[in-house]
Amino acid sequence: MGNRAIAPPTSATRRNRARTKTGAVPPVLLILTLVLALATALLSPAAGVAWAQSDPNEAEAQAIDRMLMCPVCPAQTIDQTEVTLAQQMRAQVRELLAAGASREEVLAWFRERYGPGIVAEPPRSGINLIAWLVPGAALLIAMAGGILVLRAMRRAPPPSGAAAGTAAVAASPSETDPDDLQPWLDAVDRDLAQNAGNLPTITKDDNHG
Amino acid sequence: MADLGAACLWMALALAVYSGAASVAGQLRAAPALAESARLAAYALALTLLVATLSLVQSFIARDFSLAYVAAHSNLAMPNIYTWVAFYAGNEGSLLYIAFALSAMAAAAIRWAPAATRPTLAWTVAILMFIEVFFLAVMAFMANPFQRLPFPVPDGQGINPLLTHFGMFLHPPALMAGLAGISIPMAFSLGGLLGGKGGDEWIDAGRAWGVGIWALLAAGLLLGSWWAYTILGWGGFWFWDPVENAAFMPWIALTAFVHSIMVQKRRGMFRMWNIVLIDVAFGLALYGMFMNRGGPVPSVHSFGASTLGWVFLLFLAVGVAVPLAVFFWRYDRMRSAQRLDSMLSREAAFLVNNLLLLGIAFATLWGTVYPLLARLFSEQEITVARPFYDQVNGPLLLALVLLMGIGPLLPWRRANWRSLRRALLIPGMAALAAATILLALGIRQPYAVVGFGLCALVSTSIIAEWTRGVIARRRSAGDNPLVGFARLIAANRPRYGGYVVHLAVVMVALGVVGQSFYGIQRDVALYPGQSVTVADYRMVYVDTTALAFADRTEFRTTVEVYRDGALLAVMHPRRTFHPDHNMASTRAAIRSTPVEDFYVVPSENREDGAVGFRILVNPLVWWMWVAGPVMILGTVIALWPARAAVRQTAPAPSPAPVASAAAGSGIGSD
Repeated sequence: MGNRAIAPPTSATRRNRARTKTGAVPPVLLILTLVLALATALLSPAAGVAWAQSDPNEAEAQAIDRMLMCPVCPAQTIDQTEVTLAQQMRAQVRELLAAGASREEVLAWFRERYGPGIVAEPPRSGINLIAWLVPGAALLIAMAGGILVLRAMRRAPPPSGAAAGTAAVAASPSETDPDDLQPWLDAVDRDLAQNAGNLPTITKDDNHG
Repeated sequence: MADLGAACLWMALALAVYSGAASVAGQLRAAPALAESARLAAYALALTLLVATLSLVQSFIARDFSLAYVAAHSNLAMPNIYTWVAFYAGNEGSLLYIAFALSAMAAAAIRWAPAATRPTLAWTVAILMFIEVFFLAVMAFMANPFQRLPFPVPDGQGINPLLTHFGMFLHPPALMAGLAGISIPMAFSLGGLLGGKGGDEWIDAGRAWGVGIWALLAAGLLLGSWWAYTILGWGGFWFWDPVENAAFMPWIALTAFVHSIMVQKRRGMFRMWNIVLIDVAFGLALYGMFMNRGGPVPSVHSFGASTLGWVFLLFLAVGVAVPLAVFFWRYDRMRSAQRLDSMLSREAAFLVNNLLLLGIAFATLWGTVYPLLARLFSEQEITVARPFYDQVNGPLLLALVLLMGIGPLLPWRRANWRSLRRALLIPGMAALAAATILLALGIRQPYAVVGFGLCALVSTSIIAEWTRGVIARRRSAGDNPLVGFARLIAANRPRYGGYVVHLAVVMVALGVVGQSFYGIQRDVALYPGQSVTVADYRMVYVDTTALAFADRTEFRTTVEVYRDGALLAVMHPRRTFHPDHNMASTRAAIRSTPVEDFYVVPSENREDGAVGFRILVNPLVWWMWVAGPVMILGTVIALWPARAAVRQTAPAPSPAPVASAAAGSGIGSD
C-alpha cells in the first residue's frame, strides 16, 4: 500500500542487476530447500517406526470396517458407530480374518447376507463397473474437449475488438529473456509500477503476473 | 415480540416482491425512479429481516414456548448462549437465517456495486429479489418460524446435543450464508446478460464476491470437519456424507471460478466459461440446499429433516434452467476479446485446473446419483460411500496439488520450456529430496510419498517465488527483507494472497495424507487401573465419574498418557447420555502437536465398570486446523482493496472497463 513514491527503475539499471547474478541459484534458495527437506524429514521420525500399524491383521480389519455400511445407521460405516449391530459386525470381520479369509472373501460373506448395498462402494464387476469408469471417462472427454477448444482459440484470428497493444505483443514473444532473475525483477518492477497507478492490462513484459 | 417477527416476515415478502417487480418494470420502461425505489426496497428488506431475526432470538431468550419452533429446539435448561445454535437447528429458523444473510449480502452488493455493473444493476436486483421471494414464501406458507402452538407447553424439547459445540456456532451459518451467497456473483453475471452485456462488466463484482464466498464456504467446511473430529467420536473429519458432498461440490465449482475469473480479468478470455462456472456453482448450491433441507438421501446431517424437499427441487430446476436459457439467448454477446498464444501458458494451466476441479465435482455428484440410477435401472441396492470417493477423488486432488506447484510458475500468454525448467528446478529438487528421505525412513505408501513430495514441491515453489521477489526488491530499492516482503505482497495482492491460500491448502493436504495413511486406531476396553500401549504412547485409565444433570448424565473419564515413561498429559474425554433424545454424545480429548494428535474417546460405558475406548494417533492433523486462519489471511490479502486514491490517478484508455470499475468500487485489485 502507498507505494506511489517508488518509481520503476530504468531498464539500464535492470540490465546491470541482471549481469551481476547470471545463472547462479541464489544460496538462500538452496538453504531453504534443505531446511524444507529437513523439516519434512523431522516431521516423520515417528514415521518409519511409530506410524505403522503395529498389528497388520488389525489394520486389515479396520480397513474392512471402513468398507462396510452399518445397516441401521444413516450413511455410516461400521467403524463410525457404536450400535450393537456394528459391534457385532466388527467382531465378525475379525473372526473371518482370523479364520484365514481374504478381504474379498470377507466382503463377499457380508454381501451374501445383507445384499450388495452393505459394501460402501459399488462392485467392480458387471454393470456396476460403470460407476467406476464414468468419472474418469468424463474427465478424459473434458480434457480432450478442453485441448480442442484451446487449439481453436489459438487458431482463431484476434477479434477486431481486441486491444491493439496486446495484439502487438504476440508478434515478439521471444524478446522475453528467460534467464536468471530478470523475469522476476521485471515482474516486481511492473507490479510496483502498476500499483503506483498503471493499468492492470497485460503488457509486453507481463510474464509473471 | 413474536407477533412483530411474524409481521416482519410478511412485510419482507411484500418488499421482496415489490423490489423485484419494480426493478424489472423500471428497466423495461426506462423509469429510473422505479428502479431506485426497488433498490431502496432491497435495503429495507435487509432491515425488516434483521428485525424478524432479532424477534426470534428474543423469543428464544424468553423461552416463549407458545412458538412451535422455540418449543421444539430449546428448553428451560439450555444456557442462553446456545440460542445462537438453536436459532438454526431446524428448517424454519435456518430459512430465516438464510433469507436474512442473503438480504444483507444483497444490500451490500447493491450498495457497493462497481460502476461497470450499474447499467444492468436493476436486473441483478431483480434476480436476487426473486431468490429472496422463494425463501420468504416457503417460510410464510410452509415453514413459519413464528407459528404458534395451539396451547403453550411448559417446557421445550431441548436442543440436539450434537449441536452444542463451538464448531456449530460458525460451521452452519458459514455454510448456509456461503451457499446462499453464491447467488450474488451469479446475479451479477446473469443480470449483465439479461441487460445485454456479455463482456467483462461483471467480473470485478463477480471476483470479489466469488472469492469472499469461497473463503466463507472453506471456513465452514473446515469448521465442520473440526466438529466431526472432536464430537462424532470415531476419529475422522471427513467421510463424504451426502450432505458434506452437497456443500463440497459448490465450493469446488467456486474454486474453479475464482481461478478462471483471473484469466478474464487479466486477459479478457474465458468469458463464456466463467459464466458457465458461476452458473454451475449456483446450481450445485441449490442442490446443496435441497439436500440439506429435505433431501432424499440419509445422512448424519438430517437435523432439519422435513417435507420441504419438493419445493427445493422445483427451485433447483428453475435455478438451473433460467441461467441456461439466458446463456443461450445471449450466446453471441460473450465472445472473448483475446486469443490464446500458447498451450504452455498460465491461461491453459487455469483451464486444466478448472477441468480437474469440475471432474471432482462431477465424480462426487455421480457418486450421489449412482445409487438412484442402480435402483432404477438394474434394481440393485448399491451404496456409494467413503471408499469410492477416496479412490476416485484422491488422485484428482493430488493432481490439483501438482498443478498448484506448476501453474503459478507459468507466465501469462506464453511460457517456454527453458524458463519453466529453471523455475521448477528448486521445487523439483525439494520434492525429490522429500520423497527420498521419506522412502529412506520407511514410508512406503505410494500415495503418501507422492503426496508429501507434492507438498514439498508447492511450498518450495511459493517460498522460492517470495525469495526471488524479496531479493529483487533489495536490489532495486534497497529494501530490507521484511519491508521488501510486505511491499511485494502489497504490489500484487491477488497473486500473493493466492500463494498464502495455496500454503493453507498444502497444510490441509499434509493433514489429510497423514491421517489417511498413517493414522493408527485402537479400540480397547479397560477396567480402572489398566493400561494400553498405542504407538509409543501408554494410556492408563484412571476412573470415570458420573455427573447427573437435569437433562443429561455426563460420564467424565480420566486417563493419564505417558510417553517414554514420562507423564505427558492427564486427559478428560467425556461421554454424555441425553435421555430426552435417547442418544449419547461424546467429546474426544485430544493432545494436538504439529507432529501428531493423541486422540481418545470413550465409546462405551459398560455395566461392569469397563470403558470402551477408541484411541487414535493421527499424524499431522494439527496442520489442518491451522490452515483455517492462514487461508482467511490469504483471502483478505487477495481481496484487500487497492487504495482508491492510487486508483484514481490511473488514466483509463482502451480496454479498461475493468480498471475504471475497480476505481469506482474500490473492490478490484489485481
